[in-house]
Amino acid sequence: MSMGIPEVEDAGCLLCFGYNGADSHPIVARRIVRGRQKGMKIICVDPRVTETARISDIHLQLKGGSNLALVNAMAHVIWEEGLTDDRFIQEHTKGYDEFLKVIEKYTPEYAEPITHIPADMIRQAARMYATTKPAMILYGMGVCQFSQAVDVVKGLANLALMTGNFGGPSMGIGPVRGQNNVQGACDMGALPNSYPGYQNVTVPEIREKFEKAWGVPLSDKVGCPITHVPHRILHEKDEKKRIHAYYIFGEDPAQSDPDLAEVREALDKCDFVVMQDIYMNKTGLYADVILPATAWGENEGVYTCADRGFQRFRKLIEPEGDLKPDWQIIAEISTAMGYPMNYKNTEEIWNEMIDLCPSFAGATYEKLEKYNGVQWPCRDKSMEDKGTPYLHKGGNFATADKKALFYGTDWHPPLEMENDEYPMSLSTVREVGHYSVRTMTGNCRMLRSLEDEPGWVQMNPDDCKRLNLEKGELVKILSKRGYCITRCLPTERVKPGATYMTYQWWIGACNELTLANLDPISNTPEYKYCACRVEKIEDQEWAERHVKELYDDIRVQMGIDTGKGAAS
Amino acid sequence: MALKQVQTTCPYCGAGCQIMFTVDADANKIVEAVPAPGRTNDGTLCLKGHYGWDYLNDPQILTKRLRKPMIRKGGKRSPLEEVSWEEAISYVAKKLSEIKEKYGPDSIMGTGSARGAGNEANYLMQKFMRATIGTNNVDHCARI
Repeated sequence: MSMGIPEVEDAGCLLCFGYNGADSHPIVARRIVRGRQKGMKIICVDPRVTETARISDIHLQLKGGSNLALVNAMAHVIWEEGLTDDRFIQEHTKGYDEFLKVIEKYTPEYAEPITHIPADMIRQAARMYATTKPAMILYGMGVCQFSQAVDVVKGLANLALMTGNFGGPSMGIGPVRGQNNVQGACDMGALPNSYPGYQNVTVPEIREKFEKAWGVPLSDKVGCPITHVPHRILHEKDEKKRIHAYYIFGEDPAQSDPDLAEVREALDKCDFVVMQDIYMNKTGLYADVILPATAWGENEGVYTCADRGFQRFRKLIEPEGDLKPDWQIIAEISTAMGYPMNYKNTEEIWNEMIDLCPSFAGATYEKLEKYNGVQWPCRDKSMEDKGTPYLHKGGNFATADKKALFYGTDWHPPLEMENDEYPMSLSTVREVGHYSVRTMTGNCRMLRSLEDEPGWVQMNPDDCKRLNLEKGELVKILSKRGYCITRCLPTERVKPGATYMTYQWWIGACNELTLANLDPISNTPEYKYCACRVEKIEDQEWAERHVKELYDDIRVQMGIDTGKGAAS
Repeated sequence: MALKQVQTTCPYCGAGCQIMFTVDADANKIVEAVPAPGRTNDGTLCLKGHYGWDYLNDPQILTKRLRKPMIRKGGKRSPLEEVSWEEAISYVAKKLSEIKEKYGPDSIMGTGSARGAGNEANYLMQKFMRATIGTNNVDHCARI
């Protein structure tokens, strides 16, 4: 996020795009509510009536998969009506004229049939965003989980650049990161193209710096993105490029990744799968080795939250059982392979890391303790450098000439559109009580009591009526790739023809249906759009029994004693 | 009962809320979680912050907590057998070394973790893949 989370409530206008804070980040959503109480204007772009939509001034309930058409049309209105910040464009940006050539045709009338939003509403939204200062954009997976995702992120940045909404507090654009430490895993270079601190593996001077620090030659080839792994196991012809070993650390691809049938086949065919985790999970069923790690609460270190904030996490209780902290397991394997890693504690690792990363160099444990956290960039070790609440101060961007680049592209639809066989669309979403693959929240008694298997499919009441479905009834939902059983949830929050499911359920596993169609730059799958069909199950008694049996079977596989004897 | 208070960062979403825990050190159990005045949460928490730590008690609801290293000695689909850490570490090291030797470093993929493990463990994981294995095949769930 270019801004800090506390700044959200002081924006003059919030463009909340494909971001459902009430379910994914309740504490950020609270800032949005507080902003509203202070008079903040809210434009909500979401195909569902989210909580943010309910308190918005304008809700653009667009057709799923039409994001870029809407963003380009808003840019068109801002340009056509002269609502641009011309001085900012001139002093701090490049590529504006080329960008205008792209958005020229995106009149609101052109976008209306694509987005299903009346042209006048697009005009009103664009005017509100451009004329209310400071204006902030928050976005979420409703932007990123499409095959056209990076283009939309750039499109949103274009809006902020055109209107001079960068360089001060409560403005800019903010991807509100999902997991507690997804920002941190990126910061640390758990990415195929960058070392820690966003330093590219293909730049010779940077590679030499790391080679010198680590004392070994390093590869100059960009690595394999995680979403290419099934293909690289199953279909790669070159033996040297085929993935033969997969060391999975703190993830559950057999639940969280798209097209689960393909993921299972890949894990099954992979010669050697190592899983390092805290709880048994679906991926564990395919692991050749399982390494048990300490959990949050039993170990310590630093996380990075969504707004670049480094914060300490601390040990609460002593681990029980034969567990080791993740960093120690990795260090021991490395040492056994002939590359010794000897660290006494997390601070030693942290100190090695910050000295290799100019943007993090000043974020010492001492400062994290004293200031209760530091937002990067923090370049200087002196106690005066307390970090950076918002980026691009004064319109200075992180490019060689400090100028931001406009980047315009044309809209294209998602890959798999509704058709005769699969007439509805499916998008994956979140719910507030459960988290990710739910091995944590599903094992918390209070949270588990909120929702349980097999989850729900959200559908418009008209569709339910057409299919003769009642609330709570078990239904079968299918795509070209697979199917699952879940419960029908009629809700006016969603538009006819569209369905929504959360991805943490084992039985109502929507990733059996999703499609591994990737954005060409981010390699993120199109979780937010595939074609599906909902079928009524006539024999509900059988279906209820079947779901219960499936649930018991999986729990037994996961090592739970259900009274029928636990499996190993 | 020796009660102690420890402040930490919530393990769920990216909001980075600060929580103050009361811990019974003798029983090695968490007693209570209350919001702390963190920069982002400003003395508030959501339901996961309040109640999301019970999994540390291993209540045997959904899945079993992993407590010992395990290996499928008879290959895929054979039962998992508990082993010592020494055996598990040397087995993983041997298998990865063999695969690296036979097919080259780019035949091995590793992931980071965006969840509980923290930045230091992620730093070591990517260092392990890059320096020990010799590949940039490391990624995590940011893109999924």
